[in-house]
Amino acid sequence: MKKRSLVLVLVLLMVFSGVVFANGSQEKSNSGVKRVAYIARAQGDSFAAWLANAIKDEAKNYPGISVDLMDGQANDDKENTLIENCITNKYDLIILQANNGEAQTPYVKKVIEAGIPIILTNPRIKGIVGANSVDADPYEQGAVNARLGLTQIPQNATVVVINGPAGNMHSTARRLAWKQEFFDKRPDVKIGGEQIANWNKDEAMKYMEDWVQSIPKIDAVISMNDNMAAGALEVVKNNPKYNNLLVYGVDGTAEAALLIQEGKMTSTSFQNAFELARLNMKLANEILYGGRTELLDTDIDCPLITKDNVQDLIAVYKKTGDLK
Amino acid sequence: MKRKNNVVVSLKTGLRKYSIYVIMVLLFFVCALLNKNFLSVSNLTNILRQISVTTILAFGETMLVIAGLIDLASGAVLALAGVVSIAVFKSTGSLWIAFLVGIGLGVLLNLLSGILVAYAKTPPFIATLAITMVARGFALLFTNGQNIYQIGKYIIFGQGSLFGIPVPIIFMLLMFILTWYILQNTRFGRSLYAIGGNEEAAVASGIRVTNVKFYIYLVNGVLVGLAGILLMSRVNAGLPNAANGYEFEALTATIIGGTSFSGGLGTATGTIAGAFIVGFLNNIMNLLGVNSYVQQIVKGIIIALAVAFDIAAKNRRSKPREIATETKSNVTVATKNVK
Repeated sequence: MKKRSLVLVLVLLMVFSGVVFANGSQEKSNSGVKRVAYIARAQGDSFAAWLANAIKDEAKNYPGISVDLMDGQANDDKENTLIENCITNKYDLIILQANNGEAQTPYVKKVIEAGIPIILTNPRIKGIVGANSVDADPYEQGAVNARLGLTQIPQNATVVVINGPAGNMHSTARRLAWKQEFFDKRPDVKIGGEQIANWNKDEAMKYMEDWVQSIPKIDAVISMNDNMAAGALEVVKNNPKYNNLLVYGVDGTAEAALLIQEGKMTSTSFQNAFELARLNMKLANEILYGGRTELLDTDIDCPLITKDNVQDLIAVYKKTGDLK
Repeated sequence: MKRKNNVVVSLKTGLRKYSIYVIMVLLFFVCALLNKNFLSVSNLTNILRQISVTTILAFGETMLVIAGLIDLASGAVLALAGVVSIAVFKSTGSLWIAFLVGIGLGVLLNLLSGILVAYAKTPPFIATLAITMVARGFALLFTNGQNIYQIGKYIIFGQGSLFGIPVPIIFMLLMFILTWYILQNTRFGRSLYAIGGNEEAAVASGIRVTNVKFYIYLVNGVLVGLAGILLMSRVNAGLPNAANGYEFEALTATIIGGTSFSGGLGTATGTIAGAFIVGFLNNIMNLLGVNSYVQQIVKGIIIALAVAFDIAAKNRRSKPREIATETKSNVTVATKNVK
């Protein structure tokens, strides 16, 4: 009897909260404010979290738009469910940061069929007709570093490569860039070690600690993101044998900016979440209020950050409070 | 003939009892043969440093699993404790306060686990899974999903050394001594074995099972908080996403080290041997350049074998056993049930 009462109370609570929140969102829609759903790939991922925060901040510049943030938790099922929920809840526009382009494709198509405008961001999904996209080209993010490496990495060098998660399209594209822009052009360079560190600093540290033992000379660390590059650097930072170590990353994190300023890291490419957010919200506003129907596919730049221009990046981070 | 049989039986018993240490030593020699860099002081120091965080977690898991409990939240709680500890250091400048806050947060989250498991009788698997989500969520909320940089002197916990020994290794050894002492020399430790072995019997013998279950989670909390401080200082950043899966690495060392999932069995020395085995394997695979995917397969196989061995050993313990005794005139066979 007690258990049944408890179940009844819980069901009533669910129905009640559903009614309340449904009414709440209906009110927002009725008041003329357009509702945008932003589905982040995984707010547990530091870049995705940065982008989500930037979207939220940028949305404040558009009082006619309210943005609801949702977390795909790096899970395709979860992300697809969120997309379906957004269709059911009749959002005016959806901005989607896909976890896996292939897995999200059928659901993106449902959004388009439902007549809801959609912007795909970081990454775009190739082959979708009827969707806008705002992205940073991951190939180019790797390529700008690889082209610099062509001129800097010495002849017959031994390098180590640290990759992001298996199957991750950003990691794969950056690695492809290094292959085509660097390794294919420099057959003299040997890869002493290559492992997957899942974007994680501590995992990259463990690999670098072991490589330092087994590889007599490492001339460069090629990392698919700054976090892992910083992990590799953490291992050798006090070792004079690696004073001339070249280290390449991607993202342009605050930590990378500091490391480049200190001369420990060689370069990174800036994946500017602020710029992505600005373009996403600008496009959303044009679609919702500007009557824009023409589809847009656009990329932000991937500026190479070296010691020559790192002060500009540091200034950005000081302004946002990420660096003091 | 009788002496030969006795020697064989003794050897078999010895091997069964000390198999994990035999495996550890054999693996050590195999690794040394496979790669000349394995035996270098710097490499061996690296291994100890690399396993220090997960081994400290493993000591907590060992005590929990002995009592028939588990903690699936240690990775998430470690991350929360670590980032908050760093944030406190950055705002106060005090290493001591930051250290205590990190430990305190580990204890606080495990207090919740302890209440859920011991008093609310929630299955430990479910309770600690829930705490995982809470802890990780708080870690991300606290940091807005971003890493904390410029941690200054805080790195001393994870990167400092005392008399040439890296601080994480010193902490690992201290926690080993603490765990060994609790399990071997305290009534509390004996209670853990009793509860894990047969909870009803433990209740009947007057052990306050509920309280013991609650307190062991608090002890675990100290270890998890410490692990968080060490990890974040080792990586020189507050990483709210760090330590994903660390609880499973800790459990791997625990189970390989002979702690039984069914409870009532396990030792601190076995756990540290299990941690060394995992550490040696990870290290030698990296030194040999074994592909990441293959490394994952190897680790999975080892866990499966360790659990299978544990279950087989448990089944052996519960089967009837024949004992042969020789008298002056004849041989008698006695049957004894051994649990």
